[in-house]
Amino acid sequence: MTTRFATILDALTRQRGVRASLLVSERDGLVVHSNLRFGQDGDRVAALAASMYRKARLSADAARLGAVAFLQLDAERGRICAVGGRSDLVIVVVAEPAANVGMIRVELLKALEWLE
Amino acid sequence: MIIATVEPWVEPPLKRYLDEARARLALLLHPSGQVVAQAGFTRAVDVMTACALAAAAHATASELGRQLDGRPFRGLHYAGPEREGYLSAVDTARGSYICLTVFDHESSLGLVRTFFGELCRELAAAAPPLAVLRGPMLDVNFEEDLNRNLAAMFGR
Repeated sequence: MTTRFATILDALTRQRGVRASLLVSERDGLVVHSNLRFGQDGDRVAALAASMYRKARLSADAARLGAVAFLQLDAERGRICAVGGRSDLVIVVVAEPAANVGMIRVELLKALEWLE
Repeated sequence: MIIATVEPWVEPPLKRYLDEARARLALLLHPSGQVVAQAGFTRAVDVMTACALAAAAHATASELGRQLDGRPFRGLHYAGPEREGYLSAVDTARGSYICLTVFDHESSLGLVRTFFGELCRELAAAAPPLAVLRGPMLDVNFEEDLNRNLAAMFGR
């Protein structure tokens, strides 16, 4: 199973400008598997990104918008993208500001298909 | 959330921890079961019971860790259907404490663990050194100390 997860995350981390990719449990906020290219605390990113994704999902649900397809957070020095499916797992990518979000989105949705 | 502490230096780090981790209840206690701080509890009897059970669970987990891994387990997580508990040790210049955190769907184990790490660092930095080394906790003093701490917290 870990090898399958590693394959999924490797494909994401190969994208230009991607600093880290993580597979996170939405409920627990714990890292299932990660591929980190930077000296950041993966556990911390995972916990906060999972919390953010869960809040976004609940907000979309409350506003009767349906399921969250793709979540993107733009910050001063980078961005966080996340997708989640029917399972408890969320795929999170941390990227540089100049990264191609379109490509990252395509790869994230492809990874989600693999996962499910 | 109202926080009551026996030792005032505990309050600011504990308040930050509760706010950031979105915890529902928290209890800081000595490994002997004596309460140091509590947040979210409304009755002294609940604090007393939770302290006794947390101290016992921590002692059990520590010993199990020693048996299985040669050193005490640091953290214990219990996932209930509605609420979850996280029990872990905090080391300071004043000695080791145990922290019990109770959280629900507003938070997660990952968040609690993340901010618990910060709580440990902040408590270690805030703890004034012990002026006089505390003697061993004796059965004859235990109830008196416990009642004094509960009275300080609940104003009785």
